[in-house]
Amino acid sequence: MSDAKAQDDLDTNLQFEPPGSARVTLRGRLNAETTVPCWEHLEHGLQGAKLDKLEVDASGLRVCDGAGLALLRYLNMGRMTPGASVSVSGLEAGLEQMFRAFTEEDYEAFHQPTPAKCHPLPEEVGGAMRQAASDLRQQVEFLGSVAGSLLPTLLNRKRMRWREVLRVFESAGANAVPIVSLVSILVGMIIAFEAVQPLQQFGAQIFIVNMIGLVMVRELGPLLASVLLAGRSGSAFAAEIGTMKVNEELDALQTLGLDPIRFLVVQRITAGIFLTPLLAFYAAFLGIVGGMFVALGLGYPLQLIIHQLTSAVHLRDVVLGTSKALVFGAIVSGVGCLRGLQTREGPSAVGVSTTRAVVTSIVLIVIADAIFSILFFVLTR
Amino acid sequence: MSDKDEIVVAVRNLKVGYGQNVILQDINFQVREGEVFVILGGSGSGKSTLLKNLIGLYTPLQGEVWIEGGNLLAARDDERRLLLRKFGVAYQSGALFGSMTVLENVLLPLDELSPLPEPLKELVAFGKIKLVGLAAAAQKFPSELSGGMQKRAAIARAMALDPDILFLDEPSAGLDPVTSADLDLLIKELAHRFGITFVIVSHELASIYEIADRVIMLDGQARTIVAEGHPAELRDHSTNPWVRRFFNRQPDALASGFHL
Ligand SMILES: Nc1ncnc2c1ncn2[C@@H]1O[C@H](COP(=O)(O)OP(=O)(O)OP(=O)(O)O)[C@@H](O)[C@H]1O
Ligand SMILES: [Mg+2]
Repeated sequence: MSDAKAQDDLDTNLQFEPPGSARVTLRGRLNAETTVPCWEHLEHGLQGAKLDKLEVDASGLRVCDGAGLALLRYLNMGRMTPGASVSVSGLEAGLEQMFRAFTEEDYEAFHQPTPAKCHPLPEEVGGAMRQAASDLRQQVEFLGSVAGSLLPTLLNRKRMRWREVLRVFESAGANAVPIVSLVSILVGMIIAFEAVQPLQQFGAQIFIVNMIGLVMVRELGPLLASVLLAGRSGSAFAAEIGTMKVNEELDALQTLGLDPIRFLVVQRITAGIFLTPLLAFYAAFLGIVGGMFVALGLGYPLQLIIHQLTSAVHLRDVVLGTSKALVFGAIVSGVGCLRGLQTREGPSAVGVSTTRAVVTSIVLIVIADAIFSILFFVLTR
Repeated sequence: MSDKDEIVVAVRNLKVGYGQNVILQDINFQVREGEVFVILGGSGSGKSTLLKNLIGLYTPLQGEVWIEGGNLLAARDDERRLLLRKFGVAYQSGALFGSMTVLENVLLPLDELSPLPEPLKELVAFGKIKLVGLAAAAQKFPSELSGGMQKRAAIARAMALDPDILFLDEPSAGLDPVTSADLDLLIKELAHRFGITFVIVSHELASIYEIADRVIMLDGQARTIVAEGHPAELRDHSTNPWVRRFFNRQPDALASGFHL
């Protein structure tokens, strides 16, 4: 039984004799292109044949590349002829050496399954708790070291690197103005529209102006500004510092004797604290403008609207709004920097840090807001 | 191999740079099949820039690059894809895909482009990884490897499709002398026995004497090729003082009469 098939450059000859043994003779170029038809040919020919001996004669090969070697190794490991003893012979010296360098043990080693990471539930819960506790600890530590280095750095003009503060001011503040404008005006209008109908039942539409004024100054101005800041700049802080960590730039800072907190964090937090009240006021102002449009549309004269506004919004509301904005700004910039510093190794580490920065910021903002509301309620009762 | 003198890379009158900033000009050379061709030059002289222009990542400001008779820049999409498969590249920084293990990195080009049956793809990948001595690290991620290991993994990936030409940017930088010598041996073996052509950017003098059939020397100041030939020949007979200094490892300061 013998068949031969001429390929472009490769001659594959498969002979079955004596019975129970087979002989493959390869001649020509065994490379990526010719290996595929050769494989098909052999698989077809050897399928189902009961063999205890397979000889591969490679002495006629002029060229044999990585794909060819892989085919020879596959044959040699008996994958196509289970149970048969296989021998590959006739390889040219250099190829032979390369061929022999890869053993069955190597193959097994490559296939060693990586241990699957699956933990029982209690272990998972415990791990998560420990993670949360250590995260809290890190936050407190971070707070401590920032508080410790804020004043000394602020007082030292050279160390402070005001230029960096200005750069952050521009990218996080000035460049955020368009988006803050759009969102605030729309939110002001939306609230006004939503409030008109219920107030209409009491014939008190004009009070939408009072409401918008209070809500914007006390609540939504700071909230909108800081949430937008978290999305735009908190994430950017985390990404900047995280990338520096991945590139070993933070290690370089440390070996130069520079503290990353003094060098990178203080500037960003300072900028965040100064910036957020400004953005919050701006957001509140535009939100009120949005509400005023609606009131004007309802036919109220401008004078009346302004009168309502000034009688509704007092100094203490402005103070409350400002103090909220200060705290929110510190939270957003601080969390952004902290998450950046916490970045681990690996390709997705920076992405994880930015996500964590935004999520943690927003959660903490809401918590701080709740504390503010309760405190204010108790104090002014 | 059979037709040993075939020219596989031809560069004509090439001018490369970034925008208005010309880094190199009047670059002409040819690389023959199975040759180990080394691009030398001081740090910042434009070796990586030249390499990136050769492999079509950047568009030259002027001139042509021919690879195996095809012009990468003028080629249409399908022709270009064929050309791209004829060479492999290992970048200076490794450029491994960070979210994949070494094995997956090497398997990627095979999975995407090779017609081989599945079990063979795996064996090809194993073979290449073994060849660069990374068998024990196959399941690791690039971030878990040392710089030198990443480099070797990148070489394994570049070889995955058995290309005719390999472009390597500083393959032995960051390797210990033994591993580096192993790599030299591998390069020589692949070139002389299998007819693979190498275009290598390198600084390692020891390795250059060992592997290079021919070198060109770039000069950042002259912005062009200042010498071409066999390294030993250039060391002993070059008329260019900077070239002699390079090969004899003399510092600039000594040559200009400055004494420490
Ligand atoms: N992306 C870029 N944009 C502008 N100029 C660049 C860019 N990359 C490199 N250069 C400039 O091109 C010149 C050559 O750089 P290149 O990276 O090619 O040097 P090299 O010879 O590979 O050096 P090394 O041995 O240090 O790797 C340098 O002067 C560098 O400043
Ligand atoms: Mg370079």
